[in-house]
Amino acid sequence: MTVLLGDPVLAELRQILGPEHVLTGRADRLNRTRVPAPFPVHRWAERMPDLVVLPASTEEVAEVLRLADSLRIPVVPRDGGTGLTDGAVPLRGGIVVDVKRINQIKEIDLDNRTCTVGTGINALKLNEVLGRHGLIYPDDPASYPCSLVGGRIGTSGWSLIGSRYGHTRDLVLSFDHVLPGGRVIHVGDGIGRKITKSSSGYQLKHLFMGHQGTLGIASEATLKLFPKPEAEFSPFWAFEDYDSAYRAVGALARAGVATFAGAVLFDEWKVDYLRRDDEAYIPQPSSVKALVCAALYGYEDEVRAGGRRLLRIARSLGARYLGDEISEGDWAARHDRYATPLHGRTRSGQVVPMSWHCEDASINYTNLPAVRLAWHEIADRLRRESDVFDDWGMFAYTNGATGADYLTEIDIGIWEQRLDDAAWEAWVRAKRDLAAVTLAHGGSISACHGSCRAGEVDLVPEELGGGYDVMLAIKRAIDPNNIMNPGKYLLDQAYAEKS
Amino acid sequence: MKYRYQDEMSPPPARRVTDVAITRFEHVFEVEPALMTDHVTQQDFPNWDTLRLVRSRADHLAWMHRHFADKVLSGEELLHDLDE
Ligand SMILES: Cc1cc2nc3c(=O)[nH]c(=O)nc-3n(C[C@H](O)[C@H](O)[C@H](O)COP(=O)(O)OP(=O)(O)OC[C@H]3O[C@@H](n4cnc5c(N)ncnc54)[C@H](O)[C@@H]3O)c2cc1C
Repeated sequence: MTVLLGDPVLAELRQILGPEHVLTGRADRLNRTRVPAPFPVHRWAERMPDLVVLPASTEEVAEVLRLADSLRIPVVPRDGGTGLTDGAVPLRGGIVVDVKRINQIKEIDLDNRTCTVGTGINALKLNEVLGRHGLIYPDDPASYPCSLVGGRIGTSGWSLIGSRYGHTRDLVLSFDHVLPGGRVIHVGDGIGRKITKSSSGYQLKHLFMGHQGTLGIASEATLKLFPKPEAEFSPFWAFEDYDSAYRAVGALARAGVATFAGAVLFDEWKVDYLRRDDEAYIPQPSSVKALVCAALYGYEDEVRAGGRRLLRIARSLGARYLGDEISEGDWAARHDRYATPLHGRTRSGQVVPMSWHCEDASINYTNLPAVRLAWHEIADRLRRESDVFDDWGMFAYTNGATGADYLTEIDIGIWEQRLDDAAWEAWVRAKRDLAAVTLAHGGSISACHGSCRAGEVDLVPEELGGGYDVMLAIKRAIDPNNIMNPGKYLLDQAYAEKS
Repeated sequence: MKYRYQDEMSPPPARRVTDVAITRFEHVFEVEPALMTDHVTQQDFPNWDTLRLVRSRADHLAWMHRHFADKVLSGEELLHDLDE
């Protein structure tokens, strides 16, 4: 659809939202055509929305969706715009509903330890207010300063300290959700706003999280709060080979320390990259081949006791503590990965501007070594084909406190300005191959970002099997006119029979 | 405080750290200049600005820590406890 200025649609939207909250300018739309995932910049125009609206309340979101549904206009929800699976990127033009103005803190309930917020708020900003009450909302992605609660719901995000506090799905108790036709429902455990466990009816909360805006828009959410930790401990250790580091990360995760909030394994390629381009690691001796870090949070006495236990375990497995400066600095930097040096190298070593891209999957502990080798082979192929790609190594982060599975990511630098159709095709093929390796090892294509980008999305039906057919049926039932984020997750198939 | 343009624009001599990095100030590393000639070229930076950038990053990280906990424990100290 193309909305022309003067269209009755525009007039109606201006009536609903006020003229200043309906944006049609080219810059306003261009800024909302992409996310930080690599993007064929020469094809920017294909992803332009026709207009952007900035509602201020659930009621306004509902009115916008009612209008869009009646006229069959595509709608794409957008919050921080940091999603790495292109969820907030319009594929069919239409209206981008940018929810950033719905960012109020409506209530802080100190007795039930919850707060209720507009989904346009960011956890960093929220925590600055909660900190005054000695509380924290511990949803902590590496995009902590810039992703927002609605996007965390839309992606069902993953948190760095989720092994202690849970991930977005555990931390969001309930929310107001606007269905594609404009009806507002409240989803949570049962109907309660602040209920953390219910067995009443279907468990709809999970359905309306992680759908990448294909089932409607969350506008107000009630979140679970924790006491703000008194102490943090984030040791980093060096190892002389990957296998020792791999054994150590497993042992740390399985140790059962109550304040354990997560551990991360850095492989040899990651260490090579860091030694090349990261201040903290440039001076490390070449005998350092792999790294592990862990993070603990809680009261000081608990963290001290847990910390000593983890230090003992790491030492018994050949770890060398890297010192307080790296440990403290690098852990804090995990909360704002935008500071990653955004340059890569050509094969001859020349510096080139590159954007960071991370392909993620959930992989069981026992399959990490094999997936790592297979993934680097794919990255190596890309690197051999072109200077557009640079292998920046892999991380594996614990998903939970028992160490069963890991958010496994390979970071690839991409020289976007040089992405032409051929390089883009090579990239999409590589993404499909990475996802295939994941499935061959019993993993899930994404632990954190979602899997609706070109390449990996082709394998989602294979991953979900019969569940994918259920997904199609649900999409058709909830969004009969396919207005919500059309084109994502191959969900157009849901309407094939109908048309 | 005195500001002498010439002094500020003359960084201390470089010392090679690895085959791709050099250093001029303690704990501050730069890409080997020969590797920044084709696609991205190096800029001249006054010394104070280089140091300011490094310090503000440290301030930022300290600020980030404060969002998550009141205190950061020292591993060196805990290791010392283990050895006792
Ligand atoms: C440097 C960096 C580090 C990252 N690290 C992590 C990490 O550690 N963990 C992690 O989980 N992710 C991470 N990400 C990815 C990204 O930050 C998350 O996916 C985040 O949840 C997206 O939030 P957002 O507000 O930016 O959402 P957006 O990108 O705006 O939207 C994401 C998806 O949700 C939908 N959506 C947006 N708002 C709503 C709403 N109100 N209701 C329903 N659907 C909605 C959109 O349509 C889209 O499909 C990282 C990204 C970057 C750039």
